[in-house]
Amino acid sequence: MKKQLFLKVWIVLIVLTICTALVANQILPFNVAVLLILILSTIKFLGVAFYFMDLRKAHVFWKISVIMYALLFVALVVVII
Amino acid sequence: MQTEQVNSKSIYYPPGGILMWIIIFLELFTFGMALIAMVVYSKDEPEVFHSSRLLLNSTFGAINTVFLLTSGLFMAQSVKYLKLNKVDKSSFFLKLTMLGGLLFLGLKSIEYYGKIQGGLTVSYNTFFSFYWMLTLFHVVHVIVGLVILAVNLIGLKNKKAVTNTEDFEASAAFWHMCDLIWLLLFPLIYLIF
Repeated sequence: MKKQLFLKVWIVLIVLTICTALVANQILPFNVAVLLILILSTIKFLGVAFYFMDLRKAHVFWKISVIMYALLFVALVVVII
Repeated sequence: MQTEQVNSKSIYYPPGGILMWIIIFLELFTFGMALIAMVVYSKDEPEVFHSSRLLLNSTFGAINTVFLLTSGLFMAQSVKYLKLNKVDKSSFFLKLTMLGGLLFLGLKSIEYYGKIQGGLTVSYNTFFSFYWMLTLFHVVHVIVGLVILAVNLIGLKNKKAVTNTEDFEASAAFWHMCDLIWLLLFPLIYLIF
């Protein structure tokens, strides 16, 4: 069951990577493309942290810390760029 | 080989251990600040950053992402089997994890060779200064991660060794940290500018 869970997460991460590459190659308004790429990357980041690193089983402090880091990073990039 | 498990629900025992997570956050903040600095510098030279970004091979970057994510999957499987005391399977997946890391380094070497041949070195422009510093620093982490995994592999093969699950998880957490850092580097360096 858990083996299948990791495999499912991996498939989602690979699909998101392909989506990120496709978005980067589309002719979209700059801000839209940046936002989409960052959102897709953040989902991948959280996927690795929560599933592969087993953070979903950790204390809520660690979960919130990782989510806050990811959101802060994306927010700063979007505001500055 | 013996294993023992800890309660990861405690705030003091996140999977991999509190010290490893302190290191992970320090690394994430270090890379994060450097990437934010890169974005700030790009505001001064948007054309330079855009034209330089187009000189990078984003396909290489995407393939390397797949290598690291696949390696991360194998690492998670390796930890799972160690917790189940299936040392042979854990060892097998650990070897596959290391193969993923080696493939990443191989492709990165090809990429670096092309850049050096093209004269796109660290002093070429601001973009490439960031590119070399950030990606090389990440490569150093991958190499250190591979050394840590190799030590774990030797420990798994040594019947007399006591491999604590928490130590193994700490090594796995370091390896996954390399994934996390790459997932920040790839979109910003290869795709956005």
